[in-house]
Amino acid sequence: MHLAHVSDVLLVWAVAGYALAMLGYAAEFAFGRRNAGSRAVVAGRVAVALTIAGWGAHVGSVVTRGFAAHRVPWGNMYEFSSMVALVAVTVFLVLLTRQQVRFLGAFVMAPVVLYLGLAGTVLYANAGPLVPALNSYWIKIHVVAAITASGAFMVSGVVTTLYLLKDRWERRTAVGVGPGTAAAVEFERARGGGLMGWLPAAEVLDRLAYRVVAFAFPVWTFAIMAGAIWAEQAWSRYWGWDPKETWSFITWLAYAAYLHARATAGWRGRRASVLALIGFACLMVDYYVVNTVITGLHSYAGVS
Amino acid sequence: MVLTTTEPASDVRESEATRLSTAPLARSGWRHLTSMRTALLLLTLLALAAIPGTLLPQRGLNPVKVDAFLANHPHLGPFLDHLSLFDVFAAPWFAAIYLLLFISLIGCLVPRIRLHARALRKAPPPTPRHLDRLPVNETWSSGLAVDDVVANACSALRRHRWRTEVRTEPDGGVSVAAEKGYLRETGNLVFHVSLVVLLAGIALGGLFGYKGTVLVVQGQGFANVRSSYDIFEPSRLYSDSQLSPFSFTLRQFKATYEASGEPRSFDALVDYQAQPGAATSTHDVRVNHPLAASGANVYLIGHGYALHIQVRSPSGRLVFDSDTPFLPDDGMFASHGVVKVPNGLPHQLGLTGFFYPTFETTPLGPRSSFPAARNPVLSLAAWRGDLGLDSGVPQSVYDLPVASLHHLANRQLSPGQSWRLPDGTTVRFAGVDQWATFQVAHDPGKKVVLVAAILVIAGLLGSLRVRRRRFWLRATPVDDGDGARRSVVTAAGLPRTDPDGFRQEFDSLVQRMKD
Repeated sequence: MHLAHVSDVLLVWAVAGYALAMLGYAAEFAFGRRNAGSRAVVAGRVAVALTIAGWGAHVGSVVTRGFAAHRVPWGNMYEFSSMVALVAVTVFLVLLTRQQVRFLGAFVMAPVVLYLGLAGTVLYANAGPLVPALNSYWIKIHVVAAITASGAFMVSGVVTTLYLLKDRWERRTAVGVGPGTAAAVEFERARGGGLMGWLPAAEVLDRLAYRVVAFAFPVWTFAIMAGAIWAEQAWSRYWGWDPKETWSFITWLAYAAYLHARATAGWRGRRASVLALIGFACLMVDYYVVNTVITGLHSYAGVS
Repeated sequence: MVLTTTEPASDVRESEATRLSTAPLARSGWRHLTSMRTALLLLTLLALAAIPGTLLPQRGLNPVKVDAFLANHPHLGPFLDHLSLFDVFAAPWFAAIYLLLFISLIGCLVPRIRLHARALRKAPPPTPRHLDRLPVNETWSSGLAVDDVVANACSALRRHRWRTEVRTEPDGGVSVAAEKGYLRETGNLVFHVSLVVLLAGIALGGLFGYKGTVLVVQGQGFANVRSSYDIFEPSRLYSDSQLSPFSFTLRQFKATYEASGEPRSFDALVDYQAQPGAATSTHDVRVNHPLAASGANVYLIGHGYALHIQVRSPSGRLVFDSDTPFLPDDGMFASHGVVKVPNGLPHQLGLTGFFYPTFETTPLGPRSSFPAARNPVLSLAAWRGDLGLDSGVPQSVYDLPVASLHHLANRQLSPGQSWRLPDGTTVRFAGVDQWATFQVAHDPGKKVVLVAAILVIAGLLGSLRVRRRRFWLRATPVDDGDGARRSVVTAAGLPRTDPDGFRQEFDSLVQRMKD
């Protein structure tokens, strides 16, 4: 059980790294608000470095967990949560290499730290072997796809929330911009709109959220279908309306509705985004409520 | 249902609707049904309708829980049952929602496919007059003649698989119109058509498949005829001719456990024969590893202990000698079972038993502390009287109507031990065997569903990852008197979907054309 202990310690380091990174991102915002000085940039860069360090420790924690248990490190809810958080941080880091998304830092780190905290305390389960039902190579395919999609949906959920806030703020400040009120609005922007003024335009946020969903949705579809193939091998039917299957399907429908709404006049923008958030809420139900409250065939929580 | 692109789908619907030219009411009804708003509404409705199916117990998943719910809620239960809330996924209102959704989808798909087929054959749209008004544009002067500029541009575009159309304009200029990303709409249509095929595959399985469960004791066999099954669930259009004539014998069942008693592995070794007289082959049927029998899959779904019990009459004649399956009651495989001996003895004899694979005594009574047979003990009670086998009322082989019987005695036995009853009858616990339950399932729509599912994902990737965009270029000749041939070139682009990354693509295209 030595390796299992190493895994636990590394996870604590990862959480510490992420938490400090979150402070760094917040500091960048705080400094950047007063002046676009170098202190803000330094804070931001330190935060990114801390995120990468935390990510490294996190990967180490997952790998040692796998070796400790002699199996893939996503066999129960604790491990699954850790992996989802890892994917969310990975998606953020990948986005960082492609476009200027450092503003997302604090908002991604906050749910990640929360998620890992919950995983490490409430959901924690000792490294043990898998029950025979999970002993299939499909656990590598189906569960990895589900984890990847969940992590990406989490990031898109964060961006969507920011979009809704920014959109509301843009509407409010845009109203009544005339010759007389311009100065007042400018004052408002300089004073209270600190965070909002600092975020990119609502349209940019909306497109970013969409891009992440456009990545996650096919992966989620694949996860459901790979699950169906596995179910056919394990339970003799590819679909049986098991609560897990049903909630995965409901989540799929919600995101499908979001994608359709984005192409519908009158639904584009805010209303579509609300659908995306409902999709994320369904994902959380699929994960937490179905695993712990509703009993079904996916009883792998390992929480007793 | 309207598919997700920036294509103005309302045009499609309108042209389709005018062609239908039926009664205005039907026309507007149809237009509403195939509108995006309806699609959104139906998607949401389907999601909402599925929720009660996860909160209330469902007959298809756990009929025992449904009965318990009905017993606990004598007023609410029947009301919910009346609304099919215990069979949500087979309920008429659930079917109505997804059928409407699919009708709406098909109604939108047909004109959409026709339009896309036309677009695939059509040349890219003419070059707009004022290219410099487009969001992305660039103008430069080139030392090449107009024709060379156009030839260069076309080769650069075609190398990146743009569809191009060269048009000569009245003022002597030449323009190139190019478009790319048709795969987006193709993917979009493939995705939605595949969903329809997927539903058809599911329906096929639901109409022609069958499913059955059978318990087989180690050393015994199973032949695939309807009467061999303990439970048989045919589909609506099933016929007995669908049962392929395979058979198998359970040669050995082996379960291994963790120290905690959690199961580690289950293996059922079976000797399988595709049809009578065919060669026999041995297979290891495990969880996640069904046996692919001809036309059906055989799954290992459960296991337990079968106890070899022998009963001899007072005169020493063997009247019962059989492996009796006991049903497990807990994770440590404490099990219960019944032996019925109606013939050969002065009275009919019934035995009820509890079996503990690893016997242990606790203050609360006996229990099993491990699922493997480490210290097997069989605790029997003997009963005398009319077992009721000839009463005509169907009886479970796992139940004995003890209320009407006379209790004789109790005894705990280890394997090999015998027990002599007061009337001289002897009961012998000869040994511990095992049984496994198998599910045989045949779903003729499975392959259709699999292929459709793969196409769903392929189509989805096309419709979400491919970007549709247009590019135009106009070259006009410049005559500065000395006879040299030069041109002024204007290029412009328009992303028709997601604009991310278009600027870079445009710049690199233009760069290549300038070189």
